[in-house]
Amino acid sequence: MKNTMRLLVIFVLIIQSNFAQDILIEAESFDNPGGWVIDPQFEQQMGSPYLLAHGIGVPVKNATTKVNFESTGNYHVWVRTKNWVPGNWEAPGRFQLVINNQRIAKILGLRSGWGWEYVDKIQITEKEIDLELVDLTGFDGRIDAIYFSTSEVEPPTSSKKLAEWRKKIKAEPNAPNISKGYDLVVVGGGLAGCATAIAAAEQGLEVALIHDRPVLGGNASEEIRVHTLGIYGNFERILRKIDTEHYPNGSADAKLDQKKRDTNVKSYENIDLFLNHRAYDAKAINNEIQYVDARQTATGNRIRFEAPRFVDATGDGWIGFWAGAEFSYGRESAETYGEDWEEHGELWSPKEADNAVMGSSVLWGSKEINKEVLFPEVPWAMPVARDYAKVAGEWQWEFSNPDYNQIDDAEEIRDHMLRAIYGSFSNAKKDTANANVKLEWVSSLVGKRESRRLVGDYIFTFNDAKEGTKFADGVVTETRDVDIHYQTILEDENNPDFISEALFYKTPQYYIPYRSLYSKNISNLFMAGRNFSCSHAGLGGPRVMLTTGQMGAAVGIAAVICKKYDVNPREVYTGYLKEYLALIEDQKFEKIPEIKK
Amino acid sequence: MKYLFPIIILLVLFLNTGKNFEHDASFFSSFEVLDKAPEFYVLKWKEGSRLIPKKTSFYIEVDSIGKQPVLALIGENQKPVLYTANINTPVCADGECKLMNIRLYWTLLGEYAGFDRFPEMPLTKHDHDEFEVQDYQKLHTLLADDKSILGRRSINQLVEKPKLRSVNGVDAVAGATIARVKEAIVSGALYSCYTVWKIVHSDIREQLKHNSLSVLDDYMIRDMLYSINDDYQLFALEKIEDSQYQEHYKQIVEVFKTSTPLVRSIIAKRITSKYKDTPTLQKPFWEAYDIIDSGSKSTLINFLDEAPSFVTMVLSSKLKSMSSNQLKKFLGHLKKNEKIGFEVKRNLEAFSSSDSETYAYIAREFLEENAY
Repeated sequence: MKNTMRLLVIFVLIIQSNFAQDILIEAESFDNPGGWVIDPQFEQQMGSPYLLAHGIGVPVKNATTKVNFESTGNYHVWVRTKNWVPGNWEAPGRFQLVINNQRIAKILGLRSGWGWEYVDKIQITEKEIDLELVDLTGFDGRIDAIYFSTSEVEPPTSSKKLAEWRKKIKAEPNAPNISKGYDLVVVGGGLAGCATAIAAAEQGLEVALIHDRPVLGGNASEEIRVHTLGIYGNFERILRKIDTEHYPNGSADAKLDQKKRDTNVKSYENIDLFLNHRAYDAKAINNEIQYVDARQTATGNRIRFEAPRFVDATGDGWIGFWAGAEFSYGRESAETYGEDWEEHGELWSPKEADNAVMGSSVLWGSKEINKEVLFPEVPWAMPVARDYAKVAGEWQWEFSNPDYNQIDDAEEIRDHMLRAIYGSFSNAKKDTANANVKLEWVSSLVGKRESRRLVGDYIFTFNDAKEGTKFADGVVTETRDVDIHYQTILEDENNPDFISEALFYKTPQYYIPYRSLYSKNISNLFMAGRNFSCSHAGLGGPRVMLTTGQMGAAVGIAAVICKKYDVNPREVYTGYLKEYLALIEDQKFEKIPEIKK
Repeated sequence: MKYLFPIIILLVLFLNTGKNFEHDASFFSSFEVLDKAPEFYVLKWKEGSRLIPKKTSFYIEVDSIGKQPVLALIGENQKPVLYTANINTPVCADGECKLMNIRLYWTLLGEYAGFDRFPEMPLTKHDHDEFEVQDYQKLHTLLADDKSILGRRSINQLVEKPKLRSVNGVDAVAGATIARVKEAIVSGALYSCYTVWKIVHSDIREQLKHNSLSVLDDYMIRDMLYSINDDYQLFALEKIEDSQYQEHYKQIVEVFKTSTPLVRSIIAKRITSKYKDTPTLQKPFWEAYDIIDSGSKSTLINFLDEAPSFVTMVLSSKLKSMSSNQLKKFLGHLKKNEKIGFEVKRNLEAFSSSDSETYAYIAREFLEENAY
């Protein structure tokens, strides 16, 4: 029984035939990941969550698991991995396998691009073996899966073929076995998603909140550590439950706010929280979403979420994308919405549209200790860091380049930032003044500013912020300057390519209409967060987290009206706006229980 | 009461500086023909130039001193080339004021162009130490940064001591800002740096630009296109007609190769449209593919489908300089054609079989999947 359970947990998949036995072990499903961390950020690009040896220069503890075989014998072994910095140096993310305490000589993590690396032909003499991953560097070695086969045929590499092969070898049915129904399904547990869930739950809706990390908050979480900015607008009471203090970005103080946020969201009985679940599909029929499918990031267990209405708070607009929602990406031409600002010209809004967007940050920090501490040489980081020397990184550590799409190339962007960080820290360590400085924390998560923007009935632009346009359905209020970032290398090639600068436009108080918070063409889809309906320059102000939190809360309240009258988001605006605004007003203060009146 | 503070400052300056205002009067009138580059200068000085100062209606109002005139420096075609002003301003810190003397220059677009110091009146730091050469150089770099953090902060915000938080004892509010300010300014000269930056980047910029635009002609635009200043280049690229893109294509290629990634990316967006009817003129731009920055390469390769057919050949010899995404774009372009040229195929095969090329595997997969 014990072994059977373990088989389920580690998702060992066996296909047996008369001729071959194949076992696929998903790395993220190891019994004990040790010091390796599960990284599901890039599943949509490279095919799976994977294990990452993020030891910031110190090899992490071994990951261990048991593997059961139907039969003993000789097996060919492959690992699916990637050398994340190929070049004329030793690969930074090297690792080895240990099988039944025998270390396999082959050094792994050497191939360019995700794919299968042959380990060896191994004799399996027992039906249950111990398998370990040994990190050799502490510098972000990565492994997606291990494949044992009695056949010599290498599994496919191309993403499409690999996905089909995986499905076949796992014998996965098309639909998840478990389905759950809710009043509202919220995907994404950043500030926007949390606020949506709370606002809707307080009004009695049954809510599912799906989030692909173990903790809530997204960019504000202790895993990324960006402080919340903006004002509270109509939703201060709700947002105070999930916001942060104004600590420096990257500060460990984020942990205190994390505790508060998680406790508060979990306190709602009618919020079903699905942490460590990443949505991977949404199906729409006649422009109406029927369900969202999500997978547990470690076990791979799948759940189908059904609801009359859905909220895309994924930041990347994934739900809308899968459902076929209209979306935009990149910078519109200045004349598209008349967003020119002569002061900063092309840096603000280009004459010709392009794919340049604000970049992603990876925050990090170090601390002084009372003894000297060494840091390894990192030659593979130097082409990025060059001679830049720093011991901590703030918001300006940001990377965007027309070569990289913030969604499709997010792994490369994260890795580029890791090279920038390790290289700059290594440079700083050459200064004797930093002899006692120890690299303390480097996020392994990409903190994104901008990606897909789903198109709503109204597209919020820079001009709406500049002019403080008043809308009858202006449910979100903000006073924060519009600030748009650009990479400083654009103005001087000698600058590092991972440092940005901000351009600020001082605005009056401005408003975001409710019509920017639901999809134009997917009838039951709301959106909140940076993927709301706006132009590139329009995103410059409201992309910060108290504003996105306001969007979330506004959406949560709208979902209540939708349920009450069984209508879609658009009809809240066309038919029930007065009641909607009254409900927003009404939720501002905690209700006094009847018993105390 | 309103005038009391300036009077006190003037009195203090008079008593403290040891330099009387008779000297300053000569300082104000010391504009002469400019026949050499300012000592700190962002543009390239045209040898043999003689710029004649000419009065304008513009001035800079300096606290407690008054209006200081801005002059246009006129070139041989009787058009302005630069603007300049001798600035004489008090710099006050902790109740102590000193006079700061500096000659500033602006470009035709109102941007910072440079400065001259006055050897007999060196700039000084808070502790009265004179600026070293590297300090002047740093000031020049600071003034050239029109987006400096000094522009968004009051002097009080810049000198304010950070508030400490109880947790971790870390500066909660201004840590990052203060680090950036320290990095940008001349050490020990925050007030001087702040004062002069604010003057350079004051409303005068817009006024001067407006003045230049009122007398703008083709000659000035051409000069800007042939300048090394990226603001000028950008401005000229917006102003010239399509036909001038062809007339000046050699210079535009030069700008493409040598200017900033920002200017380069704008040209990259326009190559296939501006030279649509003269495709051979596109060649030098595509030939520069391997010497331009990664972002501009990506911008340029997005236009590959609109480019003349010879570009495929040009790029096939530059596969080594492509990122993985750029290579995929290039191969995607090839895939749209039923057949590819002999030389393109040979280059592709050579690249795909190289052991030292990181992305050779992408080309290998492509050749495996597509039989040419």
